Amino acid sequence: MKGIRDVAVLIVVLILQSTIVDRIAIAGIRPDLLVAFVIYFGWIRGPVPGVVAGFTVGLIQDLDAPGPLGLNALSKTVVGFIAAKAGYRVHRSNVGVRFFFFLLAMLVHDVLYFGVYAAGDLAAMARQFLFVAMPSALYTTILVLLLLKTVESVSKTLLLTDEA
Amino acid sequence: MFRLLFARRADWAAFTIACVLSLTLMLLGRGEQARAAWFIQNTLLAPANVVVGWGDRAVSVYWENQKLRKRLAQIQVEADRMREEHLENARLRRLLAMSQDNPSDLAAARVIARSLDRLGGSMTIDKGFADGVTENRAVITPDGLVGRVERVTPHESRVLTLLHRDCAVAVRVGKDRVDGVLEWEFGERPVLNLLYVSSQEDVKRGDWVVTSGLGGIFPEGIRVGKVTRVGVAENGLMKEVQVGPAVNFRNLEEVLVYLPADLSRGPRMPALAPTEADSAALHARPDFARAAGPALAAPTARPAQAPRAAAADSVQPGGSR
Repeated sequence: MKGIRDVAVLIVVLILQSTIVDRIAIAGIRPDLLVAFVIYFGWIRGPVPGVVAGFTVGLIQDLDAPGPLGLNALSKTVVGFIAAKAGYRVHRSNVGVRFFFFLLAMLVHDVLYFGVYAAGDLAAMARQFLFVAMPSALYTTILVLLLLKTVESVSKTLLLTDEA
Repeated sequence: MFRLLFARRADWAAFTIACVLSLTLMLLGRGEQARAAWFIQNTLLAPANVVVGWGDRAVSVYWENQKLRKRLAQIQVEADRMREEHLENARLRRLLAMSQDNPSDLAAARVIARSLDRLGGSMTIDKGFADGVTENRAVITPDGLVGRVERVTPHESRVLTLLHRDCAVAVRVGKDRVDGVLEWEFGERPVLNLLYVSSQEDVKRGDWVVTSGLGGIFPEGIRVGKVTRVGVAENGLMKEVQVGPAVNFRNLEEVLVYLPADLSRGPRMPALAPTEADSAALHARPDFARAAGPALAAPTARPAQAPRAAAADSVQPGGSR
């Protein structure tokens, strides 16, 4: 049952990412809902589901991405694993913790992604990180927190509980 | 050994496998990557592609629908505005044509208020004595006579229409150019009555009624209306003639105020469509047809009826309400 729900959520996120994201872009900065999903999934389900989700989502994203096949899969696998491991004993219901956790995890993902993509060109990587990764991570974090808050208010349950 | 590794360190094992797979994909050549991508897309992810593609289309259709609705509403508003402007343009063209035919005699005015009563006996126009308008000037449209100016302020004037009892008009009707006085009469169904027409006169239903110019207010030859009913009064001496106005008073928006230098010369009205009676007359009297032309404006008044008609165009003693 839980697996079906997770797949359904993933499909909804994929649809949102391919349809809504362009419309809610601010000054060309688009949120990355897929990486947010991987972080959330790894955080609440643990390392193995986090790795599986990260690899699957990354691979799906790679099929449409301009970069080399496997780059998204690798970066999302890493971030899914780290989110699961690092978020194990974190106070998940706290909004501030949520904010910094999502922001940091997304920046880790972007460092990895742009680091490999830039292939050693540090200036290009820094530019991408400053002008694309950071605003996008901030935008995505705020959006995800608002989304979580809305769903939690409607369903009256905490999606990210403190219990592991 | 692998089983032991998975049992104790499943998370690390999964992570390692995923990383190795990803790196392997990254290290493939471009052609091999394309083949791998094709394989993944069309086999492993085919069901997901179908579902996501369906959702993608549904959302896209929704957004497109919203966009088209908005565009449709904009186009509707635009079309309404254009239709309104088209109608206004047509009206103004007709007024302009008349003004150009009578350059010094006519001032175009816009109707800015109508009388509050349902019968529409008066209206206010946006021209006053600052524009050269004075009292008792004829007000017309290309369709025909509207009424006369009753009161003038610097920038506005009140106009009594034919549907007001204080606006009687000396007119002429039919192929025999019979003179009479047209007056609005309030009753069960308010009508314009043509008074002082002898039962011997040849007036038929469908005859055009035009101003005779005898009252001193309205220039001659302005179309007023068409005879809608002809009967004989109880005493048998006079005809009871009812006239339908040529102007639709309900939707008047622009009018022309006649500022005559010479009352004997009326404005050139647009050509009338001949009535059945007119056609019969034209067939019977070719000389008249040549002389009268399409406008059917009477060139002369019959002397015997002139004094009676002259009294009609003047302001009524009671004044207006």
